[in-house]
Order: sequence, then structure tokens, then C-alpha cells
Amino acid sequence: MPEIPKPGAPGKAKPGTKPKAKQTSKAKAQPLQAQDKLTFLLSLVPYLMDHDRVSVAEAAAHFGMAKEQIREAVRLIGVSGIPGETAQYQHEDLFDISWDDLEENDQIVLTHRVAIDDSPRFSAREAAALIAGLQYLSSLPEHADRTAIASLMAKLSRGASATPSQLTVQSSGTDETLALIRDSVDAGVQLEFDYLNSRGEHERRRVDPLRIESLDADWYLRAWCHLREAVRTFRLDRISHPTVTTEPITHGAADVKLPDTLFEGSADDLLVTIDVAASAAPLLADYIPDGAITEEQDGRLRTTVRVSHYHGLKRLIASMPGVAVVIAPPDARAAVHDWAAAGASRYR
Amino acid sequence: MSAAAPSRIPVEERLFSLVLALLATEAGLTKNEILSTVQGYRQRYSVSGDNANLERQFERDKDDIRELGVPLETLDAPGQAGNNQNLRYRIPRGDYELPADISFSPEETTLLNLAAMVWREGSISGESRRAILKLRSLGVVTDEPVIGYAPRLRVRDVAFEPLTAALDKHVVVRFGYLKPGEQDARVRTVAPIALIQREGRWMLHAQDQDAGGTRNFLLRRIVTPITTTNTRYTAFPASATEAAKAELDQIWETRTAAVVVEPGSDAATRLSKRPSTTASGDTLTLHYSDIDLFADELAGYGPEVLVESPEELRAAVRSRLERTADDHA
Repeated sequence: MPEIPKPGAPGKAKPGTKPKAKQTSKAKAQPLQAQDKLTFLLSLVPYLMDHDRVSVAEAAAHFGMAKEQIREAVRLIGVSGIPGETAQYQHEDLFDISWDDLEENDQIVLTHRVAIDDSPRFSAREAAALIAGLQYLSSLPEHADRTAIASLMAKLSRGASATPSQLTVQSSGTDETLALIRDSVDAGVQLEFDYLNSRGEHERRRVDPLRIESLDADWYLRAWCHLREAVRTFRLDRISHPTVTTEPITHGAADVKLPDTLFEGSADDLLVTIDVAASAAPLLADYIPDGAITEEQDGRLRTTVRVSHYHGLKRLIASMPGVAVVIAPPDARAAVHDWAAAGASRYR
Repeated sequence: MSAAAPSRIPVEERLFSLVLALLATEAGLTKNEILSTVQGYRQRYSVSGDNANLERQFERDKDDIRELGVPLETLDAPGQAGNNQNLRYRIPRGDYELPADISFSPEETTLLNLAAMVWREGSISGESRRAILKLRSLGVVTDEPVIGYAPRLRVRDVAFEPLTAALDKHVVVRFGYLKPGEQDARVRTVAPIALIQREGRWMLHAQDQDAGGTRNFLLRRIVTPITTTNTRYTAFPASATEAAKAELDQIWETRTAAVVVEPGSDAATRLSKRPSTTASGDTLTLHYSDIDLFADELAGYGPEVLVESPEELRAAVRSRLERTADDHA
């Protein structure tokens, strides 16, 4: 499909360039895994104390874990405890569970507990991560109530073991388009708007909104597009004149499979060789395909970027003056040259 | 449980047992008591021999546990201050447990789940994941939101991790900083006050140890690895962060540019969506924070924009476009 469903680059988005938005690696260093597991154990105990009997399935759903992870943790809790007066881990010094219930019914019943009475506090960094996340979310229309957010942040600070680190996100204020999308979702009706695609073409679109996504300062709508009869991603800052219609939506989030990544590559992508200052290379990380050959020389990297057309490339490169230079193919160089020269000529 | 259990005790079992043992003691346990009795250590403890490896293990475990927000404290034995062997370790319950009057409603819990999802890179994603485990410990059942949100903040700058660590430990850092227009990076020695994200970019607000006063440093202009010094500083109050944010808002308010945009172009559509933009015909009044970053952004629009004022920005955009044209001639 020749249509450009992709938004511009993340960060300073440029139309028509096609970042591939890497999935962050789940791989963690060994000690971190143990820390996660410890946190889970310290969190699971108070939860079990509040539930006389809970199924492994319910606990798994609640903590977002696999059932086997829950069983493993419960088995460990069941044999853990404190050295006690004899320093011998006597029976009364240990947690106990109903082992029959666990093994036969997949149910968790904590029958004896030691040492732990309550949920742990947040660490200073954990609280800081949530507080900064909340600040970022305060630009969402349903969170326009700043006092509610402020009281939640105060609670997190008070629930932390030390003063949360000063990590802060300045939100840009609520976006009107976001508010309209919310309205159409609440009413279950279609949304219509003018959309300027990355090739510079204007079109009136009618969509069923599915999900709102963002990368830093840029916001996107993923929606079922009635014009294209497919899921499309729209940059909010390219949407003009949005209107909430009275037509009910035909596709809900449950009907459509949304890919996890915001941007997808396509077989029609163009490959362009560029030189970029090594220090600026992370800014282009999203455009560099996996397995691209990268050579470094005198602080500059020669690598390959993937774009859907030169409309996007010329904007991207022109926004990195002196930092990134297109090497090949010649028509890509020419596209960038002509774009910059046309811009410069306006000042003569 | 027999004491003759195999010596391979999983790390989490050892850490869990350590936390339980230290929570359960009022008076505290000495290192020797811990190593000889606590599950995961006692299996490797030698009554007569050398326990240096085990002691080092205990030191690392203490750090790991403290990193999770567990307040592991040390008590000097009465009359024996400074004697390491008689130090007593414990976890005071009141500092460990979430205060009883703190609870979260289902709506708040949903919001916090979303706030944690924002982080998907670096160690901060692990921290937010652990925060959510602790939150779920409270057993609050959440409502499903009507529309899916997938918000995401990135921490691509390599300086981010070491700076958050320095901020946390209150230690002075040193790095090379390249100001735009300057040929060489200058070494800065600063006490971090806050990491602030604005318009999608991270900056460090810090007290400059040489120049005195506070400065803002864009993380992407830090051109060397961060050197962490041994100099500690007193944590700054939260009001210092608020003041920095107010100052940044003030800068954004006062710096404006007049820019003519090509009607119907990408520049016209997107620049008019920037916060606090006003339009008069095809001329937009745009606010900005940093003249160099804004000039880069405007240069990307090529012939779709013409900067009228200020003169400094006009010249900056023009020279950028000429540079790009020359580089691709």
C-alpha cells in the first residue's frame, strides 16, 4: 500500500522517515533479577495476608505474572522464615501454607506468618520514577485535575523510604485534540479530521479511535481509518479541524490487533548512506536498521538509515546541520541539497 | 528445613531470609550472627575458618537491599563505637512499612500503573516495575480504562543513568560540555539538583562548583562520560527544582520569534500546534527555550518557513541551511 501510515520520527518528528522504534531489551543483569524477585516476595506476602484464600490464577493476574512464577514464590515463602531463638529455623519460626491446597487445588492459603506485617515502602528512585511519570501524564485530558495528581505525588513521597530524587517532567498542558479524541471515545462515535500526511498531502479522514500513544513530546493516535480500511497512526500535530461525529464506531480496540511497535518498516523502504557525528548518532538510532554496518572514523559514523521517501529524509537531515550528511545515493543528496538551498534562498 | 540443605541457595532466598531476619530483630544482629545463622549464609559459614568471601557477599547484599528502599540500619554496640565486628544490623519496622494511612483508590492505582508504563528503557524501567509490584501488594483491584494509552518517555542520553545515580547519592560530578558555537568542550564540575525533561529533552539543573550559581545543561551536549567524584553535597530542597522549572517557564515566555510559514505546509500545521503559539495571517509568534535547538528545528522545514525576528535566530537558520546545502552540493 503506497499510503504512508507512519508518523514522522520520534522526538523531533520528520514526515516520511520511518523509525523502527526498538523494543527495549528485557534482558537484565543477574543481581537485578534477584532484586525483582525479592521485591515480588516482599509484596506477595502482605497480599496473601489480606486474602484468606486466593487462587494461583487470580494472584497471577493481579501481579501480572505467570502462574508458575506465583507457585514458585509461594513455595519459597512456605519454607522461609527467621532463625528464631534457637537460630535453627524451628517450625514456628517459618511461614506456612496449606500445601495440599497449593498442590491439589492451585489455591494459596497462608496459615502462619512471621516478620512481615505490611507492604514495603517505595525506594526513593521508585517513587521518583512514578512521580515523573505522573507529571508526564498530567497532559492527558482526564488528568487535568492537577490537585488530584499533586495529592497522589505527595502520597508517593510520604510512602518512600527516603526523599524521592528530583526527576521531573514539564508537561506542555492539555492538548485540545486529545480532549476531542476522549470525547469521541466516551460517546463511542467516529472522529473526523483533516490530515496532512508526510508527503504533504491533505485529506479528510474518518476514524474509529483505538489507542493514544506518545514518545516524549510527540503524541499519536492509532485508529481504524475508514478511508484506508486499515489501522493507521496519526500524529496529533498534523491533525486539523477535528470533529466528533454522531456515527457509531465500527471497530473497537478489542476487534483490532494493534502491533506493539508504533512504527513498522516496509519492503519499499529506501536505504540511504549517511555520515553522522558519533555524539549525534543516538538521535538517529530509530532509523538505523538492525544489522546495518556502521564504521567509525574521526568521530564520525558512516551508516545506513531507512526512510520511506525523501520528503522525510530532507527534513530530518536539514534539522541536523553540520551533524549529518547524506553520502549516497545521489538523488537523496540532491533532495537534501535542493531543500536546504530553497530555504537559504528565501533569505537573499 | 534441615541445616544440611544443599549449599546452592538461590540469591532471592538468601536476600529474602536476610530481610526477614533483620525485620524480626529489635536489638539487631551482628555480622557474625547473620553469617552463621541466616539461610543462604549459614550453609557457607565456617566456624573456624576464613569467611572473607561470605563477608563480601553480605556487603553486596546490603547494597542490593538498600537499593530497593529497605532501610537497613547499623547500630554501634554501646561503648564500642567504631568496632566493626560488634556493629548490629536491623531493619526498623516503622521505616520499612508503608505508613498505614497511605492507601490508593482504584482510579489512583490505574493512573500509577500508567505512570510506570511510561518508562521502558534503562534502570528506571526496572524501578517503576518494582514500584508497581509494591503497589499491587496492597491488593487494590483496578478498573480497565476506556481507551488504551501507551505513553512513553525515552532516556536515550548516555549521561542519564550516571546522573540519576549521582543525584540519588548526592555526589558531585564532572563532565565535558560542548556549548553550541564553541570549538572545544569545557570541563564542568557540578552538584546535581534535578533532572528535568522539557519539550522532549533532558537537562540537568546543577550548581556549578567553579562558576558558582546554578546552570542548566542539556544532556545531549555532554560529550564525555560522567566522572563521579567523592565529594558529597547536602541535598537541595524540592523548592530548588520548582525554582528551576519556574525559571525555564520564564525563559520560554520571554523568548519569542516571528516566523512566516507557507500556508498549508507541514510547517504551518505543526508549528501552529506548538504550545502558546499565536498567529496573525501567515506570521506565527513562536515561543522557544534554546536558540540553537530551535534554529535546528526551523531549518528542517526548509523553504516552508522564513524567520523575520529576532535577527540572531534569522541568521542562525540561514547559516544552517547554507551549511546543509554546501555539505550536499
